Amino acid sequence: MRRALLTLTIVCLAVGMAAASALAQPNFAKVKEYRIERSVPPEAQACIECHRATTPGIFADWAKSRHANANITCLDCHLIQPGDQDIAQGHEKYYGRSDLPMGEAKYKMSIASIVTPKDCSRCHPDEATQYSKSKHANTIEIMWKLDPWLNKGMNSDNERKTGCFNCHGTVLAIDENGKIDPSTWPNAGVGRLNLDGSKGSCTSCHTRHRFSVGEARKPEACDSCHLGPDHPQIEIFEESKHGTIYHAYKDEYNFDSAGGTWTPGLDYRAPTCAACHMSGSGKVMGTHDVTERLSWETQAPLTVRPQDFKPFPSGTDWQVERDKMKNVCGSCHGESWIEDFYQGFDNAVEEYNEVYFKPANAKLTELYEKGLLDKTKFFDERLEVEFYELWHHEGRRARMGVMMMAPDYAWWHGFYECKLRFANFMEESNHLIENNEKAYVAKDFPNATGDPTRPKAIFP
Amino acid sequence: MKKYIIAAILIGIGVAISFPLFSISYYTMVRTSTPQFCASCHEIKPAVVAWRSSTHTNNATGVVVDCMDCHLPPPQDTFNFFFAKTTHGLKDVVAHFIGEEYDRQKARESAYASFDNGVCQKCHRNLLYMPTQRGAMLAHRAVVYARPGYEKKCVDCHYDLVHSDRGLVMFRQTREVPYQAKGLRQL
Repeated sequence: MRRALLTLTIVCLAVGMAAASALAQPNFAKVKEYRIERSVPPEAQACIECHRATTPGIFADWAKSRHANANITCLDCHLIQPGDQDIAQGHEKYYGRSDLPMGEAKYKMSIASIVTPKDCSRCHPDEATQYSKSKHANTIEIMWKLDPWLNKGMNSDNERKTGCFNCHGTVLAIDENGKIDPSTWPNAGVGRLNLDGSKGSCTSCHTRHRFSVGEARKPEACDSCHLGPDHPQIEIFEESKHGTIYHAYKDEYNFDSAGGTWTPGLDYRAPTCAACHMSGSGKVMGTHDVTERLSWETQAPLTVRPQDFKPFPSGTDWQVERDKMKNVCGSCHGESWIEDFYQGFDNAVEEYNEVYFKPANAKLTELYEKGLLDKTKFFDERLEVEFYELWHHEGRRARMGVMMMAPDYAWWHGFYECKLRFANFMEESNHLIENNEKAYVAKDFPNATGDPTRPKAIFP
Repeated sequence: MKKYIIAAILIGIGVAISFPLFSISYYTMVRTSTPQFCASCHEIKPAVVAWRSSTHTNNATGVVVDCMDCHLPPPQDTFNFFFAKTTHGLKDVVAHFIGEEYDRQKARESAYASFDNGVCQKCHRNLLYMPTQRGAMLAHRAVVYARPGYEKKCVDCHYDLVHSDRGLVMFRQTREVPYQAKGLRQL
């Protein structure tokens, strides 16, 4: 009797414990439901069923996207095209795993991890064409034509991969095992050179796997690259009244209007980056070419018109483009306001060019000609750094600060710094010239190990 | 009485001359309009071989699209058709004997350049309503109702569709991978 009671207790306890552990929630996020209610090829169903389990975040992103709304599935973008090199070899093995939903050979599809603007152009040809003409898409070429860090090998390959190329983009390559070269991937840089020859990555601004138009209309889409000492566009925007109004009223903004219908004054109270540089507004047509509406290259050492920007002439006419931009301003501002604003901008450009850049550049040339500065490397002599920062840092901050109406960037972070830098640069230069003294060359300049060869795929 | 005889004789002579003439040109046209005839030029042969393995020859509907369906104006456009066909024929013969060596890539480019969307749209008329291919619906709208300055050709995206060298014959109905346009060739 006592023995029977003991057995019963043990059994009860065991059953209770088993029940309790079955009731406990596993530490998983709830997976979004997906019922195949619309025509989806069985192979794409397999992608979805498996990735719901293995990468619920990617699935949930897609499920909330316009793509999912339009029944555009994984395969529409990731399916391998004849001749594609970047076949995800490791992916094929999943079709043999019985523990995965639909992990069966009959659903096998070769896919590519990398989706390119060319892939996107299958459905969005105009957007891809516009983008291909922009400085965004061609930034690797521009960078190599201008930048002393790369051309003189002054930083390391890893500093480039994790720094420069993260925004500008890598030249994607396949290694000897047929896999994507890890020194070039992962990357969603705006100018990434893809294996199919197309340039850039739409996911820089329309992030995976939402591909949202609303996201790209927000300034946050731009701020992961357009910030910092050398091109603080986001800080400038934040300081400007446009930014103030954005932060104060963004809850009322409607970021998800259909293409061609996003309307100033109605969907947004003050513009974001995209509103002025890309979106249609009034009679101005929208474009994915961010370069299009520019009338000065404020990031160049000497400010020039976009069509005269030697590393990458825009092929536009600055006057036509300025009229477009004025038209955009005109949605909210009056004519005299716009004209007077542009007068201030043009004057700032003129002053930067004539008062700061040209004399400093002439002095630098003189130092090189007299052999007081050594031309073999850049940055290893202090005056080179000073000159570089004059145009690349405060010179840009000043011009961009004026253009986008951020007074602190125009003056304190801009022209004020230009003045100090210029005075120091001139003092040191004149000192060297008067005493015919050679500048100190930093023999121990650190980590200048990067490959100075221009990528063949871009410069054949 | 005499008048009628003369008229009858003249008509008879007319028929006697024109009937064989029409008949000859008709048969010439028919015989020179086949892919087999096109393949008799060895420069063109690879294109015909590739065409034969493509889905424009092999599909469940049994429709076969011949060379001239794409590469010449439609036969009902009689004058242009005859003119284009004759010029092409003469040009190819002359080029064969005195022209530069045949460059397939160059020929491909000039064919892309000469294509008119109307040629494709003779058959592919319902391009806007494809409920299972919404991406294509979107892309086709950008062609059929192109924004000014963004006019595109069908072959800008649908290139390498027919004349790609394949190891195997392609059947549309047994295609393992669903067909997708490759995206803009110019990118």
